[in-house]
Amino acid sequence: MSSARPIAARATLRLAALMALAVTLLSLAAMALQYRLVETRLMQAQQTLLTADLNGLAALYDQRRIIALRQAIDYRATAATGDEMLLLMDRTGAALAGTRPDWPRTLAPKGDTFTSDNATIFTEGATRWLAVARELPGGFPLLVARSLQPVDDTLAALKRGMLALLAALLVAGALVGGLAARLVMTRINRINMLADRVADGALDARLPGPRSDDEFGLLETHVHAMLDRIENLNRATHRLSDTIAHELRTPLNRMLQKLSKIEGQSDLAADLKAEMRQAIRMFDSLLDISRAEADQGTGGGLVPVDLSATASEVWDLYDPLLEDKGLIAQARITPGLTILGDRNLIAQVLSNLLDNAIKYCAAGDHLTLDLTPQDDRILMRVADTGPGLPDALKPEAFDRFTRAERDRATPGHGLGLALVRAIAARHGARLTLPPTDKGFALEIRWPRLQQSD
Amino acid sequence: MSHMDRILIIEDDPETAAAIRAEAEALGCATDHRDTLPSGIEAATSAQYQVIVLDRMLPGGDGVDAMARIRAGGSTALILILSALGRAANRVEGLEKGADDYLPKPFEPEELRARLRALLRRGTIQVLDNDLMAFGDLEIRLKARTVHFRRAHVPISPREFDLLTYFARNAGQVVTRMQLLENVWNLHFDPGTNVVDVHVGRLRRKLEDAGATAIQTARGEGYIFAPLPA
Repeated sequence: MSSARPIAARATLRLAALMALAVTLLSLAAMALQYRLVETRLMQAQQTLLTADLNGLAALYDQRRIIALRQAIDYRATAATGDEMLLLMDRTGAALAGTRPDWPRTLAPKGDTFTSDNATIFTEGATRWLAVARELPGGFPLLVARSLQPVDDTLAALKRGMLALLAALLVAGALVGGLAARLVMTRINRINMLADRVADGALDARLPGPRSDDEFGLLETHVHAMLDRIENLNRATHRLSDTIAHELRTPLNRMLQKLSKIEGQSDLAADLKAEMRQAIRMFDSLLDISRAEADQGTGGGLVPVDLSATASEVWDLYDPLLEDKGLIAQARITPGLTILGDRNLIAQVLSNLLDNAIKYCAAGDHLTLDLTPQDDRILMRVADTGPGLPDALKPEAFDRFTRAERDRATPGHGLGLALVRAIAARHGARLTLPPTDKGFALEIRWPRLQQSD
Repeated sequence: MSHMDRILIIEDDPETAAAIRAEAEALGCATDHRDTLPSGIEAATSAQYQVIVLDRMLPGGDGVDAMARIRAGGSTALILILSALGRAANRVEGLEKGADDYLPKPFEPEELRARLRALLRRGTIQVLDNDLMAFGDLEIRLKARTVHFRRAHVPISPREFDLLTYFARNAGQVVTRMQLLENVWNLHFDPGTNVVDVHVGRLRRKLEDAGATAIQTARGEGYIFAPLPA
């Protein structure tokens, strides 16, 4: 939640870029097609003009041969617009009439008809020409050409327009993509933040405000429905454990009442009562474990607790017992360390750990309890020099009903450490089994309560 | 006492109700029984009771939530919650919401009797707020937190002093281990081992070393603080 998410809407950006690319490519193809079409049309137009010129000259030539041609070309040359090129030469290569005095070097006359077949394109200066070069019977070279400049100008203008459009498309694509990404990210972020809060244990967290009538609104609605379901299941779990407690304790209660009415066998009755107490403790531990696990991460029910004071009190409660057992016990508790917690649960953790030490250690063993601040945590370390945990048992030491083979004779139900772990997790504390030379050691790092005042 | 103490039992299990009734009557009290929450609240607010024994998961609701309504109805009765919801968290919740005592089911009859007796006594006794509690030659000074027997100082630890004053406040009655754990150590779970016995044993030895025989074991039930008059 507090950690800023450096992730931009990469997926959305990718999608937007892809769409922009696709649109650009399509437009490009469309424009290319249009370009091709315009080019063909313009060329056809030039071709038509050229054919018209040739047809006119052919008609004159049919009537009076070279003389008529020469007159016509002369006439045309005086009124030249610059878009046409006409040249008629004699056998010696001298110009008879035309818009230019010499024959273009790159061009060779071909054929002697007045058709516009195999017109060629040649370039002179910066201008392209569509030309028909012939050698009329008797050795009179004739050149008729049309400038392609208007075509090239139009096409160049078209090209410029298309490039500008392409650039505009790319810019618009980037803008729309960025905007969409930002919009999507805002919407998605809301849901991500909600998910973070839920993962942190706030199962009742919901997004405020009305649902919008789009796919994000639908997603939010679905997420909410899912959370409602999870919350209901969680509540049902709580209710179930309450119901189990009630349904099982009521018959146990009747048994206990009847047990008290038995007369004459008080030792047996006392034994039975002790057995029942043991069963109820085990049952409570199981319920405590599942409740602590269900409540894990939720801050509900936790209040500021003086961990130092609680540890001292529990130590004080067990101290005479440790002494009677002959353990060399020492508690080093830094005073005034506070956490957000449940005092009774914390006391249960220590009570279980000290109880284990008493159970498994022999007279002369050392037992220490340390409570020290460590960065933003409070380190609680309980260590003894007793038999310790068998290595094979370590991985599952905190599972329910795990007991070492060698301890079968010692009373217990294998729930102590499972409860310790569940309670630690309920408080957001880290639990470790540090390696020791001898005996058992356990460290719990409680999150320290930062006092604002 | 001119009148009989009255106890209201709000409990839906008839056998449990009968067991509570038996204990209450053994203490010389008159009892009324209701088996649903609404009828229980109605009874609690329409007559004067010294103690109400209240179940939690009742037809009609949770007894803990009904406490405020019982109090609002003008009842001054002390409330003992007797419930199958017996985990530490449940007990603390009940006490925080105004219960005077909380006993988890299944309960031993002796435990219930001890709790009822303590509540009945609390309901009638004048609050002792003077500094001195004296039982024959045994004197407990509350402000100085010291104990003297025949004017000789008896050295005890602060926790043993708390233990002794709790005993003294309930002098003459059976006090159970669970009551001690709850009231002296403020711990609401069963630690399994008899840690309390060791503490009581030490206190008893210290008092006996000084010459005072004050604490007796009530077999199978707990302890009684009954200083013998010298």
